[in-house]
Amino acid sequence: MRRPAPVLLPGTSLLAWRNLSHDRTRLIATLVGIAFSVVLMGAQFALLIGFARTASTLVNHADADLWVVPLGTTNADIAGRMPLRRRYEALSVPGVASVDEYMVQFAFWRKPDGGSESVIITGFPLASGRGGPWAMAAGSPADLHVADGVIIDRLYRDKLGVHELGQVVEINSQRARVVGFTDGIRTFTQSPFVFTTHARAQRYTRFPEDQTTYLLVKLAPGADIGEVRHALAERLPWVEVLGRDEFARRAQRYWLITTGAGAALLLAAALGLVVGIVIVGQTLYASTLDRLAEYATLRAIGADRGYLNRVIIKQAALSAALGFGIGILATGLLVLHSRSGNVAMALPLWSVLLLAALTLFMCLAGALVSIRRLTRIDPTMVFQ
Amino acid sequence: MSGEALLELAAVGVTYGHGATAVEALRGVDLALRAGEVTLLLGPSGSGKTTLLQVMGCMLRPSSGAVRLHGQSLAGRSLEELTRLRLRHFGFVFQHYNLFPTLKAWENVGIALDLKAVPREDIEAEATRLLAQLGIGELAGRFPSELSGGQKQRVAIARALAGAPRILLADEPTAALDGRTGQEVVRVMQALAHQRDCALLIVSHDPRVEEFADRVLHLEDGRLARRSRAEDAPCA
Repeated sequence: MRRPAPVLLPGTSLLAWRNLSHDRTRLIATLVGIAFSVVLMGAQFALLIGFARTASTLVNHADADLWVVPLGTTNADIAGRMPLRRRYEALSVPGVASVDEYMVQFAFWRKPDGGSESVIITGFPLASGRGGPWAMAAGSPADLHVADGVIIDRLYRDKLGVHELGQVVEINSQRARVVGFTDGIRTFTQSPFVFTTHARAQRYTRFPEDQTTYLLVKLAPGADIGEVRHALAERLPWVEVLGRDEFARRAQRYWLITTGAGAALLLAAALGLVVGIVIVGQTLYASTLDRLAEYATLRAIGADRGYLNRVIIKQAALSAALGFGIGILATGLLVLHSRSGNVAMALPLWSVLLLAALTLFMCLAGALVSIRRLTRIDPTMVFQ
Repeated sequence: MSGEALLELAAVGVTYGHGATAVEALRGVDLALRAGEVTLLLGPSGSGKTTLLQVMGCMLRPSSGAVRLHGQSLAGRSLEELTRLRLRHFGFVFQHYNLFPTLKAWENVGIALDLKAVPREDIEAEATRLLAQLGIGELAGRFPSELSGGQKQRVAIARALAGAPRILLADEPTAALDGRTGQEVVRVMQALAHQRDCALLIVSHDPRVEEFADRVLHLEDGRLARRSRAEDAPCA
């Protein structure tokens, strides 16, 4: 009876696979090491991306083409102030379709059962809804018509001591009623966003009625964003006019770089990479040393250096593929789990591909020591 | 049996080390391996047998003298060139079989075929055919750990025959085998060498191998000291 055709024919791929799979204990140790590195790097990446998105979440979701911000603004959460009349000045610039006032200010939230928390009051005009809450889980922005109405995210219900809609709390010693919950609007500063009307935000933060923190500009159809931006900057004194992406990047840079949070995350990811290289290097080198006689035999019967190197490289690549598979699965579970928690994690496709490339690099770098050892192998040892 | 000289050594010497610590492993060795001829090389430990095997197998460049393969001098060839020559012209049988433990019998033979660029779709059939020729076709799917010493050595011989090399070098092929199995293995090698018109050199301590050799050479202190059975004409 004819045997079924083998999946792998004799060659470097078969040798690589058998070398790996023959020693199960070492294979498991290698894969655990690689998976650990992938999880370590992946978790740091996911945190970094999640933090970056969180750091600019207001900017990304406010649906504005241009932001008019007070001079010296570094991020959306910590705002200066500007006269509200700038809104009318902005409206007079050709190409501007609408301008909405937007308030972002820190305040103190007193929980119903005592204790207080810092929150970020976010005020928007109910008429346009621009800058308002998104991802509503209960209630709607229209419910803010209710007197003292505010909307918070359900991720922070425990932190803010709120268990159901309609509960009454105090913001800076003024009455507020929770009329809606959003789902998954996280804050980088860990001071939860509290959405309300612009006027109510002014009141809660004791902001002068003729002042605001930002203006959100929408362009008329066909208007050139560069020209409108330039015209706004010329027309409005003591402010900056920023594109949405530019402001988002500025906010991300501020929170991730100037605070050192990004560097810490990147350092941990780099450590994961180093740990992976060391683990793969060690296990692959130990495997190579165990099989030196086999490699010498290959050299003796006519294999060139390239053939031996391909065996090692394929071992490394196979390890990378298997370890990455396990690691990315674990990282994915972590990211999924984080959706119900306060910690923002995100792993878009491009970061998965980057992680895969880094894992391959890590394993190939680990293989270099073995390859270097094999360049010195002496085929005459088969006769000793 | 064509009797053409496939590999020739002329006044080959190998010296390890320098100055006062220099050791002459081979001294003025003249030797030719001829097609269809089985040559047995005997000699005590330290006589230079292994060094001679390394020189003949294009793994070690001699300190003096000349080596010619199919009439072409090997002087000045790089290590990678020598590797390619080994691949093309030589088959090796080792004392401890040197099989790849993670590969099945046919895969062990298949590796040599892969190295010799045999088309991938033909490798399994060719490997199985070689094993069948050695009388172990039914063991093709077994790993070396599932084979006896004699069976392993037959797999190693099949591997050495892969790609039909004209020169077979066997290093103590019976040393790890019991007497009867050892004789069987050498008988098979002798038959194949004659049948395929190969030059077969067997390096051994085992005097029982003598009956299978067309000629017997003795190496002592790095010199070919005595020839028996057939006269060996040193290469010119």
